[in-house]
Amino acid sequence: MPGWFEQISCDLGAAWAIARKDMKIYYIKPSILVSSLLFPFVMFLAFAIGRNAPAGTLLPGLLAITLLFSASSIEPVSIPIERRTKTFDRLLAAPVSVRAIVLGASLSGAVFASAIGIATTAIGLVAFRTGIIHIVALLAGLALTSLCFSTMGTLFAAYRTENVGEVMSLLNLVRLPLLFISGVFIPLASMPAWGQTIALLSPLTYAHDLILFAFDGTTLFGPVADTAVLVLATVLFQAVGALLYRRSRE
Amino acid sequence: MDAIEVIDLTKRFGDNIAVNGIRFRVREGETFGFLGPNGAGKTTTIRMLTGMTGITSGRALIHGHDIVRDTLAAKRLMGIVSETSNVYDELSAWDNLVFTGRLYHLGKAEIRRNARDLLETFGLYGRRHEPAEGFSKGMKRRLTLAMGLVNSPGVLFLDEPTSGLDVQSRRLIRDVVQDLARENVTIFLTTHDIEEANVTCDRVAIINQGTIAAIDAPEKLKQTFESLQSVEVSFDSARPGLLEALRTLPQVNAVQKEGDKFRLYTADPPEVLGSLCAFAKEQNLRPISITTRGPSLEEVFIRLTGLSVGTKKEAGEADAGLV
Ligand SMILES: Nc1ncnc2c1ncn2[C@@H]1O[C@H](COP(=O)(O)OP(=O)(O)OP(=O)(O)O)[C@@H](O)[C@H]1O
Ligand SMILES: [Mg+2]
Repeated sequence: MPGWFEQISCDLGAAWAIARKDMKIYYIKPSILVSSLLFPFVMFLAFAIGRNAPAGTLLPGLLAITLLFSASSIEPVSIPIERRTKTFDRLLAAPVSVRAIVLGASLSGAVFASAIGIATTAIGLVAFRTGIIHIVALLAGLALTSLCFSTMGTLFAAYRTENVGEVMSLLNLVRLPLLFISGVFIPLASMPAWGQTIALLSPLTYAHDLILFAFDGTTLFGPVADTAVLVLATVLFQAVGALLYRRSRE
Repeated sequence: MDAIEVIDLTKRFGDNIAVNGIRFRVREGETFGFLGPNGAGKTTTIRMLTGMTGITSGRALIHGHDIVRDTLAAKRLMGIVSETSNVYDELSAWDNLVFTGRLYHLGKAEIRRNARDLLETFGLYGRRHEPAEGFSKGMKRRLTLAMGLVNSPGVLFLDEPTSGLDVQSRRLIRDVVQDLARENVTIFLTTHDIEEANVTCDRVAIINQGTIAAIDAPEKLKQTFESLQSVEVSFDSARPGLLEALRTLPQVNAVQKEGDKFRLYTADPPEVLGSLCAFAKEQNLRPISITTRGPSLEEVFIRLTGLSVGTKKEAGEADAGLV
């Protein structure tokens, strides 16, 4: 039916417009770009110092964390700010579905995080002289992980406040524990049983597994299952996000 | 079909009822003013009509499209200028308009054409590439208006479009609004400025504490308040007790001192003119000027909203015995 098709194409167009606007305003800024690129470098030092694992094996974990943080850091800041400046009202008043608003906000973070992820990979490859085994898995891993976590960031910003700190602290309550239960710092195999159970609930576990597979071929769940879980998690976050934004209008 | 139809519209914030069961219709091409004091519920009404905030109960239709059930169709028809100039500070004037055009699903060529025309109309074309951050308050207001018009809306919502602007910007905005009205665009505007409502609106609703106190054409609103007609007189010399003496004249409902003038409220100005002349002769006073005035919209407004702010306090007290 054309009405249905037209609605989807309008939504996608609007989502893309929102994503471009966000990128222009919030991402393409020297300070943001520099700090985002510095993040994996600092993380690397924190990781590598005092360990005797070969530096190259750190790259997948590093990449997963970098994607998590760069994808989920801006919308929780930009959306409360736009609420305060009342520019968020523009999105609410426009003939755009809530789904499209959530998708647009997430897309900008995803594109940004993917770019940071590619840069980190390139630097990592040169610095550690490692190689990539499965390039498709890597690209899928970068894109899906970015979109999944940028959607998570957008979802937290549904909490109706004009105060950036509130959203950030809520988000960190979830984001920081993810680091420890997703096999990034502590391998799943050396976790207690309850830890492993929780790890299965974290999308970061699958993101890390997929990226690990791309670099050295080892995997716990297999690339197809990893991809499927990431897609499912993203769809779920998008749907819950849309629901929360619809609710959060006073 | 009416451009806007509002049926028993209500909005609660917790225990506070911001808008309480209002109903009205606005015809296509009409300029409709929403006049009320601070906190009356004007912005809340606009936010409900434009789908920015939820509705507690009641309905609102824009050209027959229910704003809740048929949101997108209703939203496509309208343009919105919010109370605050909510432009994207980091974006240039041009990019602000382009982004807004995209949100309304306009084609590239149409966006460019509308953006150029609007920036020219609002005197911003020369500075279109500068970030809005550096714009003055008036410039931001004009940019907000341009953004509200980029989709060539059939129904335009303006929340205090001219408040806090200089005469020139005010004039420009008023002219644009009048041009739109001539092109059969329906305009819903809120304001505190009674004179603005008087000169731009076909009909005015006066809202107070979430309820509509009156809806009518400005002139008709004035007529319903005959007792607010007045005779204004100024004598060549001031004299103690004059105010009290004037109050005792027949047919005079209230007297108020305004600078060197006295305003005598009455439903029957000719009668009062007569007795005033007799009074002046008797007291040996010479009237320097005498004018009769119909009720101003301001007086109607104050009467309807029961407001007596600041210096108007005395008038409010005097008014108590008026009706
Ligand atoms: N988001 C909100 N949460 C709680 N109460 C609100 C909210 N928005 C408005 N109100 C309340 O609703 C009432 C009407 O407010 P509104 O902003 O509609 O007034 P207004 O007529 O636009 O006033 P003004 O002339 O000052 O702009 C006020 O009592 C206000 O406190
Ligand atoms: Mg208001």
